[in-house]
Amino acid sequence: MPSSNIGVSVPRRDLLEKLTGQAKYTADIRLPGMLHGKILRSPHPHARILAVDASAAARLPGVHAVLTPFDAPDGRVAPDLPILDTRVRYVGDEVAAVAADDEDTAQQALRLIDVTYEPLPFVTDPVEAMRAGAPDVHDGGNLVGGKPITLERGDVEEGFAQADRIFEDEFATQAHSGASLEPRAAIASWEDGCLTVWKSSRGIHADRLSLSLSLGIPRQDVRVIGPHMGAGYGNKDETRLAAITAMLARRAGRPVKIELTREEEFIAGPHRHATITKLKVGVRRNGTITAVHATTIMDTGAYLCSGPGVIRRAGQGALYLYRCANARYDGYLVYTNQPSAGSYRALGAPQGHFALESLIDRTAEEMGIDPLDFRLKNHVGPEGQPGERLTPPGEILDTQPVEGGIPFSSNGLRECLEKGASAIGWHERRQTPPDARSGRKRGLGMSMFIYRGGPGGKSTAKMRLEQDGSVTLTTGVADVGEGSLTVLAQIAAEALGIPHDQIRLESGDTALTPESPITAGSTVTFSSGMAARQAADQLKSKVVEIAASELGAPQESIEVAGGAVVDATGRRMTLDRVARLRPVGALQSEAAIVPGSADFVVNAFGAHFAEVEVDTATGAVRVLRFVAAHDSGRILNPNLAINQVEGGVSQMLGFTLSERMLTDARNGATLNASFLEHKSPTMLDSPPVEVIFADVVDTVGPYGAKALGEPPSVGVAPAIANAIYDAVGVRVRELPITPDVILDHLTLREGR
Amino acid sequence: MHRSRVTITVNGRQHDLEVGHHWTLLRTLREELGLTGAKRGCDRGECGACTVLLDCKPVYSCQMLALQVGPRAVSTVESLGTVDSLHPLQTAFLKNDGSQCGFCAPGFLMSAKALLDANPSPTEAQIRLALSGNICRCNAYGRIVASVQEAARLLAKG
Repeated sequence: MPSSNIGVSVPRRDLLEKLTGQAKYTADIRLPGMLHGKILRSPHPHARILAVDASAAARLPGVHAVLTPFDAPDGRVAPDLPILDTRVRYVGDEVAAVAADDEDTAQQALRLIDVTYEPLPFVTDPVEAMRAGAPDVHDGGNLVGGKPITLERGDVEEGFAQADRIFEDEFATQAHSGASLEPRAAIASWEDGCLTVWKSSRGIHADRLSLSLSLGIPRQDVRVIGPHMGAGYGNKDETRLAAITAMLARRAGRPVKIELTREEEFIAGPHRHATITKLKVGVRRNGTITAVHATTIMDTGAYLCSGPGVIRRAGQGALYLYRCANARYDGYLVYTNQPSAGSYRALGAPQGHFALESLIDRTAEEMGIDPLDFRLKNHVGPEGQPGERLTPPGEILDTQPVEGGIPFSSNGLRECLEKGASAIGWHERRQTPPDARSGRKRGLGMSMFIYRGGPGGKSTAKMRLEQDGSVTLTTGVADVGEGSLTVLAQIAAEALGIPHDQIRLESGDTALTPESPITAGSTVTFSSGMAARQAADQLKSKVVEIAASELGAPQESIEVAGGAVVDATGRRMTLDRVARLRPVGALQSEAAIVPGSADFVVNAFGAHFAEVEVDTATGAVRVLRFVAAHDSGRILNPNLAINQVEGGVSQMLGFTLSERMLTDARNGATLNASFLEHKSPTMLDSPPVEVIFADVVDTVGPYGAKALGEPPSVGVAPAIANAIYDAVGVRVRELPITPDVILDHLTLREGR
Repeated sequence: MHRSRVTITVNGRQHDLEVGHHWTLLRTLREELGLTGAKRGCDRGECGACTVLLDCKPVYSCQMLALQVGPRAVSTVESLGTVDSLHPLQTAFLKNDGSQCGFCAPGFLMSAKALLDANPSPTEAQIRLALSGNICRCNAYGRIVASVQEAARLLAKG
């Protein structure tokens, strides 16, 4: 019997509230007596703050609290980030804050704060920053950890020695902003020494811990509430804004709200890391790959944020996408006096795959092999990489391994390549050489990708069957707009044997939910899904046990279906009746699991295909069609999944063709902190996307599901860059590929 | 800061308010009237999250002062339909998953309403053009177009 819960396009849980304007986002919340805060930001890329005179600001009528680095608590909201510091490290870094009756007064008060800065030498380029004598952004040097991370399987030198040809190129990608439509906001309120914070958040429990540590108050005295979230795409996992808001509220003795302006959001909201990648691939005459070596330099800006995770992920493609005994990755994460980089959808993977999939395209072409055939010949298969397993038996495997000898839990990469190629019409593509002399030229390009995801941190879920028969799923993970809570309810309902709409959801509040990880790395459906399934299984066992004893039937003969308990003879009991057989209270279950597998690597895969049109007179690139074929295991909610893929592809058109955060190298100032100048795609830019899901049921994931949120953004840039090459014969190795870049390349090639 | 009394009509109700001369319509709706459906995405006329209707015309409420509204009727997403009685646009967005995080949805809905009121059977190109002043950073554009197309069909059926 087909399930009514799994593989069904259930409408997302909170959509009705959102469509009627009733859904409350942080900025929509208003507490009695609430003040409004504003933050003073540094005009210098690097400076020591010698003094702050806020007395005039404090005297302004309507101002109720002021916070400066000299009177803020010493605690840190992240290892390299105090609540406020006497040293500022980028133009826009937080210096001081005020709370006043309204935003106008707070803004006016900022102008009255007199700060004495001692400007320091600064560096905005990561290569410069690694040179001897460069100004230190933090004490201890600009290369994070003092050395690159180096990961190697086999021996790349040996691999290159076996190669008949070696291909090598250098690629660069830019910083761009996730620019979630909801600017960051936080509200803080104190009562009896206990702090409640409402904030746009992708991890309320992590925020709670960070606030407790930075403010020096017990964790039990901090409550974090995450209202609806106007998306984050990996962002909104930091607490500096909330900590500042909390300190202002404590001083004022009244609740305080701070909403960032759009300009602040662009400058102070972490960007995707800019990278430079040198990539080298060795190939035998027969087209097999003997070695891959990638070296990435990544600009983390003024603060670390999630940089250590991002630098690692930039190497995953080079290390694991192609079957190859010898692979190496060196990653350099570097501080500069630029706005901070942080988590943005798929972390380093889009940067690394842009380099990898562009160079593979050139390699295939110069070897005289069709790029699709080259990938079909060399892609990593279900058996994983050659080599020996190094992880001890029985130990949960890293989902971003380096070692070989471990199979995947499922691997539908080949199916993605074949189905995607067929959908875009790859085999019918024009065979004539490109001609860029005039007019509009069309071309087809492709890429493939691998993405870790699925297994994340320790995950939890609680279930509760009340005596009135209502069932609640409680989870501490945040739905950041992707719809994961809807899917968790589907999973729990399926396991328990009730329709999905009979599950109530409880989330978004540390006071109500169990400790949970942040929503990161495309792990929620898989990891919290496993926990939800287990909690539902446990609850079902309890229901069955009680019903069996009441009916005098063996437990094995009892099933839960359609919201009721049925035994082999057809006797039926509704869940509320079962629940009421207990003398008091609800039937409850709680699962805490370490998601993952000791036997398999769990990864998502996909292949992207683009058809573009390049106007050789203007340099403009238009994406006419896009085919996105994904292996994310079984698709639990098709509508939501299609929306994720279409949205991820369209979002990354910006990365590929238009978006870039620009800073002035002379003074570190951000030049384009607005939607108009950052150039995110609109509905007129967004192409039709054909979404294909491989027919894969994962062997480990809940109901066969794997990661989905981030993979759509991994393959977009190289597929389009390769299509541009197919159209006009120029290989662009730097993003974004703006019209002027195309024109420069065409001009250069033609010697004009 | 100068203030004046104004009368503005929002969602069919008249409000007599004292407003600051520099207050935008968006600020007035959100802060004074508690209508938080229209969102402050940029406050500079770029993103469309604050879109409301002024009579039948979609406007960025962050780009208009409360003092400029005059006798024209303001409609926000709160007037479109309720949970129990949805507007066909809301029904279609729900069915076609026409939003992800939802922050842009109120603006898209009001722009789409203005379009369908003026042109009950728009082409896809007309839909894309009419909604190009609204940004969806989740890039749910494909689902939004599908939703508006379905809403047009629902409205045609009556």
